[in-house]
Amino acid sequence: MAIIEYINVNKSYGNDWTLENFNLEIEQGEFVTIVGSSGSGKTTILKMVNGLIIPDSGTIIVEGQDIQNVDLINLRRNIGYAVQGSVLFPHMTVEENIAYVPNLLNKKNKQKTVNAISKWMGIVGLDDSLRDRYPGELSGGQQQRVGIARSLAASPYILLMDEPFGSVDEITRKQLQVELKAIYEKTGITVMFVTHDIAEALLLGTKVLVMNDGAIEQFDTPENILQNPATPYVEQLVPREK
Amino acid sequence: MFNILIERKDFFLNLLLEHIQISLIAIVIAIVIGGISGILISEYERTAKPTLAVVSILYTIPSISMLGFLIPFSGIGNATAIIALTIYALLPMVRSTYTGIKNVDTRIIEAARGMGSTNFQILYKIKLPLAFPVIMSGIRNMVTMTIALSGIAAFIGAGGLGVAIYRGITTNNINMTMAGSLLIALLALSLDFLLGIVERNVRNISSVNKKKTQIKKRLSLAFTAILIIAAVFSTINFNKKSVIRIATKPMTEQYILGNMLSILIEHETDLEVELTEGVGGGTSNIQPALEKGEFDMYPEYTGTGWNMVLKNEGIYSEALFEQLVQGYEQQYDLTWRGMLGFNNTYGMAVRTEIAEKFNLKTYSDLAKVSDQLSFGANYDFFEREDGFKAVTEAYNMHFKDTLDMDIGLKYQAINQGKIDVLSVFTTDGQLSQSDVIVLEDDLHFYPSYKCGTVIRTEVLDKHPELEVVLEKLAGTIDDEQMSEMNDLVESKNQEPEDVAEDFLIEIGLLN
Repeated sequence: MAIIEYINVNKSYGNDWTLENFNLEIEQGEFVTIVGSSGSGKTTILKMVNGLIIPDSGTIIVEGQDIQNVDLINLRRNIGYAVQGSVLFPHMTVEENIAYVPNLLNKKNKQKTVNAISKWMGIVGLDDSLRDRYPGELSGGQQQRVGIARSLAASPYILLMDEPFGSVDEITRKQLQVELKAIYEKTGITVMFVTHDIAEALLLGTKVLVMNDGAIEQFDTPENILQNPATPYVEQLVPREK
Repeated sequence: MFNILIERKDFFLNLLLEHIQISLIAIVIAIVIGGISGILISEYERTAKPTLAVVSILYTIPSISMLGFLIPFSGIGNATAIIALTIYALLPMVRSTYTGIKNVDTRIIEAARGMGSTNFQILYKIKLPLAFPVIMSGIRNMVTMTIALSGIAAFIGAGGLGVAIYRGITTNNINMTMAGSLLIALLALSLDFLLGIVERNVRNISSVNKKKTQIKKRLSLAFTAILIIAAVFSTINFNKKSVIRIATKPMTEQYILGNMLSILIEHETDLEVELTEGVGGGTSNIQPALEKGEFDMYPEYTGTGWNMVLKNEGIYSEALFEQLVQGYEQQYDLTWRGMLGFNNTYGMAVRTEIAEKFNLKTYSDLAKVSDQLSFGANYDFFEREDGFKAVTEAYNMHFKDTLDMDIGLKYQAINQGKIDVLSVFTTDGQLSQSDVIVLEDDLHFYPSYKCGTVIRTEVLDKHPELEVVLEKLAGTIDDEQMSEMNDLVESKNQEPEDVAEDFLIEIGLLN
């Protein structure tokens, strides 16, 4: 069953079409990685899922409902969101950052939130002693982990990630990729993951979406992207050494 | 200067408390209104430019004119001072709030929105805490500025340390001025220091000592809250008691007379007196306040009343006194009581030696020998329409030589024999210390300025005992005595209260 659907979506900034007649269906439980050049519309389609960007025309359906007809605030609280450089709230501790969405959702059940924080800190590999630290006191890798824990803390059914590992070193990046993959396999959450790194896209995705100039070049399994590139654009994108 | 602080510590403590109260109320109002405006214009971007333009323009109005504009609306006193201070405090507050919020990283705001925060949650969970350092530095600036600016409140009859400064200036008491200024500076510095502590504790983005920080944070917040509550409560009590409110103009003589009235009324009656000393602008601001009932009485001069209040043309002489009183009663429901006796008018003084040599008694006598004498006055006497040119023409005087000089130095000049004739006010303090004789204006070129008390008839009807007190003072002070009392304050640095009290004892009205 499709959990996210784009039907005839158009979006323009000024005179250029970023998306023109865009159609896509994402199945529940998929890990969709999105690659493409800058300005190809990857971030735009991501932000349309939680209503941060509203299409000029067309319909976005999430969990069977047109998001034009649902309460966006509530929708967003059930969709995990992690963006480039993690963007933690600098004035909140690790604990307060992770508890951000749970606190928006339920103010009464504090114990549940505390438990969720411990659970997610454990899953993303953050030591419990870091709870009271501020983001400024963490390493880059630790910050990314907090960002991931924060996006997952309210147990969303969809996770949107926009180049979340964009600003960490190669070693940390590899670790985070492995951890994210493990989390995905454990939770069965639906993930949309924007990256500009084709290797990362092929490694993490169960499906890879290759975009160029607001249009889909290919949407397929990593194997098919590698073995049967649909267009010359995809062909020059994928590593030849395989 | 430090002696005066110790000797008169109750006086200064009172002023200090008033100062804190006035500034703090203005600061709190500005933080609330300015903060809310800053938030609103950051949320509704289109309103930002016009709003900032308006508050910037308000900010550029010189404080003296601002007070002048406000007096017709809110009268004399603390309310006007607080309004003016609030208006000035708004700009730094609005601007720092707006800038602080606008400078928050848009990616952080988008992240918060993407996670399902409402606009209000974004505001109070994200924008305001992150804008806090900028807002706080705006507040600190604004607080220092407001404390300093409150000094000017005294000009329009409000309380605070400005009273000491203004009184020091008008009574030639430099120590009083310095002490008032010093206290303002100290107050501004200590409040800034306090806010610095608050800021550091709230801003502390470090996990070390987080618990301790929170305790400190609560303590400083509690302290601030107590200050604000205290300030607010003290205003509530402000106008409760039924009191007689006496105003004075900003001149030594009036400080003494105001105190005299105040001491005697409190001594003779059960009434309480609230004395507002040295209202800036004198008659032009006190009279409207009297009409509105903000003040009940003040010492005034007949000639001033005739020309400035009743707006008559021509020279006032005491033959017109009946008309003057009638005019006051009919037009303003005010009346004159207790004419003290002395006449504070323009005069010409000559050195005793010269007066004796030529047997000078009147201006006309002087005119005859004027070609042998040199004349001195302060600059503006030569500029005024009714000044040098007019008086010398009226009496046909032709001085050998004229000298313009600073008002503070003119007595020195005549005492040293540099000039023979000097333009004076007949109750000038230094007149009593100089070896000179004041001549008679025998053609009545200058208006008469006899001093009495202007009082609201309503108050007089309500408290007939006031009439008795005012009449007790009638005819008790002549030019020379007033001049001597002025000199005690201006040259001997005595306090107007003390001079007033000593005089009342001397003439047997007080024991």
